[in-house]
Amino acid sequence: MVHILSILSLLFWLAVIPFGIGLIPANFISAKKRGPGFVLLAGYFGMWALFEVVTMPAVLFVKYDNFKVASVLFAVLSILCAAVGLWLWYRRAKSGKSGDRRHENDIHVNFINRIKEWIAAQVKRMSWAERIEWLLFFVLLGFQLYKAVAYASFDGDDAYYVVESLIAQQADVMYRILPYTGRPTDLDVRHALAVFPMWIAFVATRSHIHATIVSHTVMPLVLIPLSYLVYYEIGRRLFRRENLSIFMILMTMFQIFGNVSIYTSETFFLTRTWQGKAVAGSLVIPALFWMFLWIYDGKKEVTEKRTTPRKAGRRHEDIGLWIVFVCINMTAGVCSSIAVFLVCILMALTAFCLAITERDYRVILKMGAVCIPNVIYMAVYVIVAYSGLF
Amino acid sequence: MWGIFLESVVIFKNYMGFHENGYLAGIYLLALLYLWLTEKNRSRRAIFVYAPTLLLALFFCPLFRKVFVRVLDDSETYYRMLWLLQMSMVSAYGMMRLCGRHRRIGLVVISVAIIACGNYVYDSEHITKAQNAYHLPQEAVDIVDLVEPEEGRITVLVPADLIYYVRQYSTKIELPYGREMLIARWDYYHAMYEAMEKTEVIETESFVELTRQYPCSYVVLKEDRETTEPLSDYGFALYDQVGDYLIYQDQETVR
Repeated sequence: MVHILSILSLLFWLAVIPFGIGLIPANFISAKKRGPGFVLLAGYFGMWALFEVVTMPAVLFVKYDNFKVASVLFAVLSILCAAVGLWLWYRRAKSGKSGDRRHENDIHVNFINRIKEWIAAQVKRMSWAERIEWLLFFVLLGFQLYKAVAYASFDGDDAYYVVESLIAQQADVMYRILPYTGRPTDLDVRHALAVFPMWIAFVATRSHIHATIVSHTVMPLVLIPLSYLVYYEIGRRLFRRENLSIFMILMTMFQIFGNVSIYTSETFFLTRTWQGKAVAGSLVIPALFWMFLWIYDGKKEVTEKRTTPRKAGRRHEDIGLWIVFVCINMTAGVCSSIAVFLVCILMALTAFCLAITERDYRVILKMGAVCIPNVIYMAVYVIVAYSGLF
Repeated sequence: MWGIFLESVVIFKNYMGFHENGYLAGIYLLALLYLWLTEKNRSRRAIFVYAPTLLLALFFCPLFRKVFVRVLDDSETYYRMLWLLQMSMVSAYGMMRLCGRHRRIGLVVISVAIIACGNYVYDSEHITKAQNAYHLPQEAVDIVDLVEPEEGRITVLVPADLIYYVRQYSTKIELPYGREMLIARWDYYHAMYEAMEKTEVIETESFVELTRQYPCSYVVLKEDRETTEPLSDYGFALYDQVGDYLIYQDQETVR
C-alpha cells in the first residue's frame, strides 16, 4: 500500500504538476509549436524556477526548519500554478482557440487521450524503416535507464549533494549542517543557492522514499528521458520527420560513448545524473539551444509569410517561449552557481552572433532581459558571500 | 599569459581525452568545419558555427581565463566552459548534414566512428552492479543498521572506504571527519584521521583518547587493521562483525 502511494505521489509531483505548470506557457505559443513534449519540458523548467524563488529566501532568512517552510510553500504554489495552467487550457479549449480543430467542440477530452492520439498519429505517418529506427532509439534509451537503475555509479560528490538532500528530508534543515560530518556550519554560498538537492529532498519527502533512493534510482528515470526530450524538440526544428530518428540514435550513441574523460557533459549525464551540475550540462544548456532554435531559426521565413496585415494578438503568440527561456535561465541557478555564469556566457555569445547574422540588434536587448534573473542571482551570491550578514 | 594559455591547452586535451586515445573531438571539429563551409541558414550558422568558434577562442584566451577564475574563485571547474560547445549535438547535426541523403549508411558510419573514437561509459571502474536501491555498498547499510540510534545522533568512527556512504544512508550518524580528508589536494589536517588512517599500526592509547573527545560511540575497523594493544583493554567491546569490518562499542560512551 505504501509503495503504491509512493508511486502515485511520484507520478503526481513528477508528471502531473510539471505538466499542469507547463500548460501556462503552452497557452501563449502558436499551436504549431505546442505539443506534449513542450508542455512537459516547459513545466519542469517552470517548476524549478518556482522552486528557486521559494527556496532561496528560505535558505537565506529562515534558520530553523527552513526546509519544512520552503517545501510547504512550494507544494501549495506549484499546485496552484498547475491549476492555473489547467484552467487556462480549459478556457482556451472552451473558446475554440486550442489550435486543434478536432477537439474544438470537445473540451472534455482528457490529456492522456490526446497524448495517445498524438503518438498514434506520429506512428501512423512513419514508414516501417522509421519505426525500426525509433525502436532502436528506445532500446538504447531503455538500456541507459536499465544501467542507471541496476548499476551503482560511485561519485565522491554524493557525500555532499545526496547527504544534503537526506539532511533536508530527515532533519528539515537546508544548508546549516555540514553533510560530511553532521556538525553545524555557516552558510556555504557556493552550494546554498543551488537548490537542486533540495528539490530532490522535496520529492523524497512527498513520496516518503529515502532521498538517496530518489537520487540514485528515481532521478535517472526522470532526468535521462527529459534530456532526450530536449534533443527531440531540437531535432524537430533541425530535421525533417524521417531524419529525426537518426538524430536521436546518434545522440544516444554520443552519450553512451562520450566518456572520453571524466569531465565531459556526457560522462556527467550518465554517471552523476542526479547532481545539479549534470542537469546543467545535459538539460539546461541543451534547452537553451532549443530556445535559440525555436525563437530565431526560421524567423525570416515567418516574417516573409506575413504578407497579410498582422492579426490582433499575433505578436504575443510566442510569449510562452520567452517565459520558458527565462525559466531555463533560472533553472541554471537551481543546478549550480557556476552554471549561472556559464549560461550568461552562452547567451551573450549567441546573442552577439545572432544580432550580426540576423542584422537585428534587438536580439541582444531581448536576450539580456532574459538574463535578468541570472544577474539577480549573481548579486545575491555576491551579497551573501561578502556582506557577512548570513 | 603564455603559461595560462598552455594550462588551457592541457585542460582542453584532458577534457577531450587525447591522453586516453579518445578522438570524439575529431568528429566534432570535422562537423564544425563542414558547417563552416556549407551552412546557409543564418541563424543556425550563428548558433552552431559562430558561437562555438567564439567560445573556443574565449576558452583559450588567457585574459578570459584569469577573469573566470577570479570571478568564480575556482580554477578547477574551467573545463565546464567546454560544456557550452554541446559537442554531441553539433557533431550529430553536422555529420547528418554531411551524410545528406545517405542517411542509413551515414548512421552506420557515424556510429562506428563514435564507437571507435569514444569510450564506453559503462566500462568505468566506478560503475558496479547495485547491491540495493540506495546504490550504496551493502556493508555500509548493514553497519549503520546495527549502530543507528532510534532517537538522537551518535558519532561513529569508520574507515576511509566507508566515509562516503555512511551519511548517505543515515544522518543520525555523525563522523569525526568526512570526505574532505580523503581529497589529497585539499590538504586538510585532522588528528583523528592521522591516527586512524596514516599510521601503519594504530597506537591504541592515543587513538582511544582522541575517539573520546567527540565522543565516538562506535569504532569500525577493518579486520586486518593492526593496533598496538587490543581496543578491549581500553574499555571497548566487540559489538558485531559485518563482512571484513569489526564494530567496537565504547562502553564508557554508551554508559
